[in-house]
Amino acid sequence: MIRFEGISHRYGSVQALREVSFGVPQGSLCVLLGESGSGKSTLLRTVNRLVEPSAGRVLLGGRDVAGTDPQALRRGIGYVIQSVGLFPHRSVGENIATVPRLLGWDARRIALRVEELLEMVGLDPGTYRDRLPGTLSGGQAQRVGLARALAANPPVLLMDEPFSALDPGTRRGLQAALRRIHAGSGKTILMVTHDVEEALALADRIAVMDDGRLAVEGPPLEVLGRHAPATVRRMVRAEVLAFHRLAALRAADSALPGPAPGAPVLPEGATLRDALLLMLGHGADRVALMGEAPRHVTLAALLAASGSGG
Amino acid sequence: MRDPRNAATGLLVLLPFALGAALAPWLLGWIAVAPNRLLSARIAPLGATGPVAIAWTAYHAALIALPLAAWRPARAWMAEAVGVLAALALLAVVGLGASAAVPPGGLARAAPAAGAWVALLLLFLAISTGAALRGATPALPLLAVLGGAVLLGVSGLLDPLSIMREALGRGEELRQALAEHVILSFSALLLALALSIPLSALSISRHGLEAGFLSVASGLQVIPAIALFGLLIVPLAALGAAFPALREMGLGGVGPAPAVIGITAYLLLPLARGLLAGFRVAPPALVEAALGQGLSPRQILWQLRVPLGAGVVLGALRLAAVQAVGLATLAALVGGGGLGAIVLQGVGQLAADLILLGVLPVLALSLAVDAGIALLSRRLAPEE
Repeated sequence: MIRFEGISHRYGSVQALREVSFGVPQGSLCVLLGESGSGKSTLLRTVNRLVEPSAGRVLLGGRDVAGTDPQALRRGIGYVIQSVGLFPHRSVGENIATVPRLLGWDARRIALRVEELLEMVGLDPGTYRDRLPGTLSGGQAQRVGLARALAANPPVLLMDEPFSALDPGTRRGLQAALRRIHAGSGKTILMVTHDVEEALALADRIAVMDDGRLAVEGPPLEVLGRHAPATVRRMVRAEVLAFHRLAALRAADSALPGPAPGAPVLPEGATLRDALLLMLGHGADRVALMGEAPRHVTLAALLAASGSGG
Repeated sequence: MRDPRNAATGLLVLLPFALGAALAPWLLGWIAVAPNRLLSARIAPLGATGPVAIAWTAYHAALIALPLAAWRPARAWMAEAVGVLAALALLAVVGLGASAAVPPGGLARAAPAAGAWVALLLLFLAISTGAALRGATPALPLLAVLGGAVLLGVSGLLDPLSIMREALGRGEELRQALAEHVILSFSALLLALALSIPLSALSISRHGLEAGFLSVASGLQVIPAIALFGLLIVPLAALGAAFPALREMGLGGVGPAPAVIGITAYLLLPLARGLLAGFRVAPPALVEAALGQGLSPRQILWQLRVPLGAGVVLGALRLAAVQAVGLATLAALVGGGGLGAIVLQGVGQLAADLILLGVLPVLALSLAVDAGIALLSRRLAPEE
């Protein structure tokens, strides 16, 4: 869906991007991971032409974006940024309606769409539609930002550190909303973050950027797995990486049959990281898994699955 | 109501003004009477008629009430209202006193004496201070004083004063000058807006243009107004001589043209600064988000920068409009007409009344413009 072909970019004397080439398959959620200044944001912004690369080209659905009208291009791409950037003098509903209005939708269709989107991002339309952005919390504002980006149903969504400014609880809520929307809509999402945990929680592909270069790109467990490349290991301590990796593994996959009497119970669909946290919290070496047949996860199985055990 | 920390602040600040306004007429006289237009005036006693006594009592009562009205910060506007009443009572004392002192129909002329002028000035300062205490502009109460003075004038109460005699004798001339003055300042303001709005809008994203525009605007600011008007006469005269059509449109050497162009030049800097600051009220992240949604630079200007910066822009417009009214007074020096022509005449004849007759409408005009735009910006940008 998105292809970067030999993208290089200079800001004055700074080489921000060096010959970056890779593709983001249709319907995938690809996370651009890297430290600040690694060029990940600049690369993201070449897709909607907020940055015009000095060399190389970006293909979107097979078409070179350089040949398109920038305004028309951007109206067809959802864009979410860390500071949200809602228009402070317009209501939540009007903010969400920005792109549909630019595209000339009629008022009825816009009103229906706004309602649908507010529900999709978990905000009650009756309560929030007419409020001004200044009255929203950070998490609510970014939910509106997400709804605005989705308003005209664009096939591609660009997200630049969308949840980085939020507290951990709010961030998890928004990540869950995004996961749900991605699973339900099949949109192609390219997202920038410096948070390894977030990358593992959301991505089905991860591209690691280092000093303007693409260090590695592939499925999360390959990129951040036991044999992670040196760049990744330099960015994150191995133990931390191993801990976060547990978040990408479902507890059910490491479960053994049979009951575990007296052990704390893990909800269905939990990850191995949830299992480890529950064990730590209760001082137990096994947790029972909720479900029809009695199953449980042991510490040994968890260590074996994470690859850190022996 | 900006600083209601201490209830006594208003009282303590306004007390000296009230005391001064009470003492000044006693020390420096209420009215001065001259036997005719050429001889100099001398301080004359107030006549002891009933109406004078009533106005005199009202004046002093208002002066006592003035600091007391400022006692409650939440009602600070009351002090300004009382100040307006005091100023009008003072005018009534002077007008009634003059009619008692000068026999009607004679050559003798009466005018407010220095004491009355000082008291009036102190009351203006008290009103301005009262407005500043609650964070407002004094334009509205000062305008009320002028409006009240006009009403007193229309009622005939001030007729015995020499300035009113001048005004009555020159009614047509005064109206003509006022109309010219409004046209001069308004057309200069429009011209300056027509230049600075597009240039500022283009300057937002072009640093070279912004630097050039601002340095030209500030460069013009350091040329003295008279010099600029004078300098403009030469090229305009040449232009008029070369193209008779232009001359017929009024674009000759002397006249309103150099004045309007000169005033426009001075308005560029305050307008450009205000417009650029206003256009930049919208934070960069917001502009970035708007760009990312697919808004064009023009849409970002009108849907984001203008509504968010309206308060700042209107503030600059207010400054520029008041400046235009003031600068238009100088137009008379290059034959451009306006109220300045009456002031110049007064200076030429050493006639203080005539100077005042030119200056007071300028004052009223700039207060009206100031109050009008302030009202407009409160309506359009209530969060300011």
